[in-house]
Amino acid sequence: MMRSPPICLFLIGAMMMGTGKAVKATAEEEEFREELTLRPLPDGKVAAHFSFSTLLRGAVPRAPSSLGTDDTSQHYSIFPLALGQILREHAIPEFHLTINSGKWDYDRWGHPGEPGVGSGAELWAWMGDGVQRETSIDERWKALQNSLSGLFCASLGQMHTLHTTSPARAFPPTGDLPRLPAPHKHSLRHATLPAERVCTENLTPFLKLLPCPARAGIAALLEPHKVFDANWHGLGVHVRWRAGAGVELVLSVQAVLDPVRISVERRRDWSLRSLFDRSIPRSCNIATSSVVRVMLPSASEGGSYTLSPEPWLSTEDSIASYDLTNGTSELDIAMTWPEEQRFSYPLDLSPLSDLSVRRTLKGSSQTHGELSVVIRNNQPVTVRTHYLETMPWHVEFFLHTLGVSCGDGTKCDYLFTNMAYTPSQPHNKPALLQATIELPPHETVHLSLRVHKAFLRYQEHRPDAQRGWDLPPAVFVPVDAPFRRIYTSALLVDLATPDFSMPYNVIIMSSTLIALVFGSLFNMLIRRFVVVNLDDEVSTSTQ
Amino acid sequence: MALELAFAVAARAVLVLSPLGSHIQDDNQLSSQLTSYSRLQEGIYLFRHGIDPYSGGSFRHSPLALSLFSTVIPTSRIHPTLLWTFCDAVGAWALVNIWRSRSNTQKSGRDMRIAAFYLINPYIFLPCLALSTSTLETTLQLLTLLFASRGQSSLSLLTLAIVAHLSLPAILLLPPILLLLLSDPQSHLASPRSFPFQQKFRKCNLLFLEFGFFFVVLVFASALVTGGWGWVRNTWGAGFLLPDLTPNPGLWWYFFTEMFDHFRPFFLMVFSLHLTIYVVPLCIKFQHDPLYATFLLLGVLGTFKPYPTLSDPGLFLSLISLFPEIYPYLRYPIVTALLHLHAFLLLPLFHHLWIGTGTGNANFFYASTLVFGLANGGALLDCVWAGLRVAIGEENDRWVVTQE
Repeated sequence: MMRSPPICLFLIGAMMMGTGKAVKATAEEEEFREELTLRPLPDGKVAAHFSFSTLLRGAVPRAPSSLGTDDTSQHYSIFPLALGQILREHAIPEFHLTINSGKWDYDRWGHPGEPGVGSGAELWAWMGDGVQRETSIDERWKALQNSLSGLFCASLGQMHTLHTTSPARAFPPTGDLPRLPAPHKHSLRHATLPAERVCTENLTPFLKLLPCPARAGIAALLEPHKVFDANWHGLGVHVRWRAGAGVELVLSVQAVLDPVRISVERRRDWSLRSLFDRSIPRSCNIATSSVVRVMLPSASEGGSYTLSPEPWLSTEDSIASYDLTNGTSELDIAMTWPEEQRFSYPLDLSPLSDLSVRRTLKGSSQTHGELSVVIRNNQPVTVRTHYLETMPWHVEFFLHTLGVSCGDGTKCDYLFTNMAYTPSQPHNKPALLQATIELPPHETVHLSLRVHKAFLRYQEHRPDAQRGWDLPPAVFVPVDAPFRRIYTSALLVDLATPDFSMPYNVIIMSSTLIALVFGSLFNMLIRRFVVVNLDDEVSTSTQ
Repeated sequence: MALELAFAVAARAVLVLSPLGSHIQDDNQLSSQLTSYSRLQEGIYLFRHGIDPYSGGSFRHSPLALSLFSTVIPTSRIHPTLLWTFCDAVGAWALVNIWRSRSNTQKSGRDMRIAAFYLINPYIFLPCLALSTSTLETTLQLLTLLFASRGQSSLSLLTLAIVAHLSLPAILLLPPILLLLLSDPQSHLASPRSFPFQQKFRKCNLLFLEFGFFFVVLVFASALVTGGWGWVRNTWGAGFLLPDLTPNPGLWWYFFTEMFDHFRPFFLMVFSLHLTIYVVPLCIKFQHDPLYATFLLLGVLGTFKPYPTLSDPGLFLSLISLFPEIYPYLRYPIVTALLHLHAFLLLPLFHHLWIGTGTGNANFFYASTLVFGLANGGALLDCVWAGLRVAIGEENDRWVVTQE
């Protein structure tokens, strides 16, 4: 009797091992890997990058030509069915959705693990053109937005033509695109909603797509209170197809957490428990690999620190790795600076990114303004970078006023080449400005452009009209490193508003003026002149 | 007097070059989206960089203006200044010569006063400083009238075709210009007679066909220059669809800012039709004096056209100097003049309060455009009354003139 409980446990354990094996066996075609990268930053913050990737081995994206017909049935054991259905339904070989809150500070935080860190929501997809009108790229683009809004509880449905552009230079496909029959080709659709904020209601459906949602593995750390308390945080969904490998889904969460802010003694010591209020309880059995990496700060910027527990894998290239794949014990990583009483904010921070970009909208007038972009090359070599500016129609560029000047104030238009411009269409399409800028070593280049602010129809204004309109960030893409995109901050433009209580009054008053002139004029034109004798008037009126 | 005129012309050239010129260049009252010099430069820039300027909404000038300014006239600061100043001088010269044709004199003491009234008129002067292309349209309209008064039918119809091409509402001037070509520019207000439509019907048709020919040639030339028909929607279409709601002194912008979406097409149609409704009645009533009918139609356009600038009512007001015979019969000139003064001061002030400092709201400026509309409408109505009233002559003590 005394022995039976251990036997039971053993039996249950054996069964679990068995089922675990079964899962891994069926997952020959499906592979799940998870990874957490923690990067202590020189300004005392910690950048965390969660990456959950699922590979659907051997899968091929649906061909757009087959859209009218019945699709093959879908069976997945790890890959989220909800997302798989969207991909098949709209024949999407590649799409990227990011929803972020805050402004990524490239100078202090360097380049992020996942490049899509623009403020607000950004969605871009490469699609092959369909055969019929109902399956055209624009129709499917709209359908994709609506499906994803439903899946992630985000207001992506507002990304209609007002925000959609096709900047193929800055957003090349990150995977491969399937070959299409001759006249058909793939094209890009890209839209940004700078005012959209990431929220718990987006994280909950996001976690449901994971095989071990918030119970085991790295995903257990995604505690909404802590993630959304971060200085910067964002979600990303990336789907691409790699020829030979299959369809790959990468779900990512990035956050920049501030241990100094939450510490009473203003120290920069952190641990998983202090950052996320959790530790990793056990590993996720389904994962083929499950790794936590800590990027160790260099001696010059980091001071002397201790890391506990000791990294399980060998520390190479100043990266400490912890492999959780077969671990069953709880893991809480902690980094402490024992000699530091209190974190002192470094005053001379040299920028960590290749480029530093500052974009502002100048001018107090509600009709005109000036867009100013200052780009500094932080590297000792010449950098060529694509410049992408997407502007909703209500801010109209006066491209002839474009001025390019170097740091010393001299004109250097020759640095601004390869310009492609699609003007905006009122009430409809945004403007798209693409160019290549060459930045000499350690040079600062100023771009300035006069803009005209449009006047909107009364019903086009948002309910909070006085708040202004968010303008999407500009994007810089170095020609040599196309996946190190740099997003500028989003801008807020103040547009003149009409009086929203006036429609009837305006219609009445303008119409009155027109009727007054019209009526009086025709009154004069159609009536005859008569000469009346004043003496007779009394008698005429009495008649 | 001649000295003052030279001064008025020179003042333009100096002031356009001064910082004031660039300061008021984008003023919404002096240049609309269809006549702004900045937008013209934008169009030329796009054209030169191989981008179709009519593919977006930033350029709404006629392809004629585009081809002229992108080839012949350099877009430096000096050249347009000289051109605009020259245009105003030509306008003043044309106005004086229209007066000479009308009064059938060679030279009179009024000439200089008429030219001065035109050149010093702030509604003409300020758009010229802002390099608004409405100045070019005004000059071309005056040249049309001049050629028509002199009976040079082809020249007159060609200039009218160009004006109509630059700004479509000007095509409404065609019927009175045809009548003017078939009769004479002298004043017949005091002695109305009926126009011999029966006898002149054939000639009238020929002239109409001639205009049609010029117009169609210009249309095809434009299509050739731009390589398509996209410009039609951007230039003429703007007058019907009102895509840009930037405030101007006219009546359309706020009406269609505040209009409910489902009524918008209906009211756009009503406003466009409303412009055309005045043409035939005015031509019939003033068939004895077609120059006067043209003058009144210019008043209608200045009050009610889409995207007006100050030069549109400015042209109408300047033309009043051609008709001294109506002055005694104007009923409320002081009221109209005061309304104009009122509006002229309020428009820039309230515009600045709303757009510049943000202390006023849109209703401030809207109210001043209503006053401006009232002033223009008042001037128009008074001129219609006086034009009709001239025929009756002076009132006696015991008799009053009234309408049935």
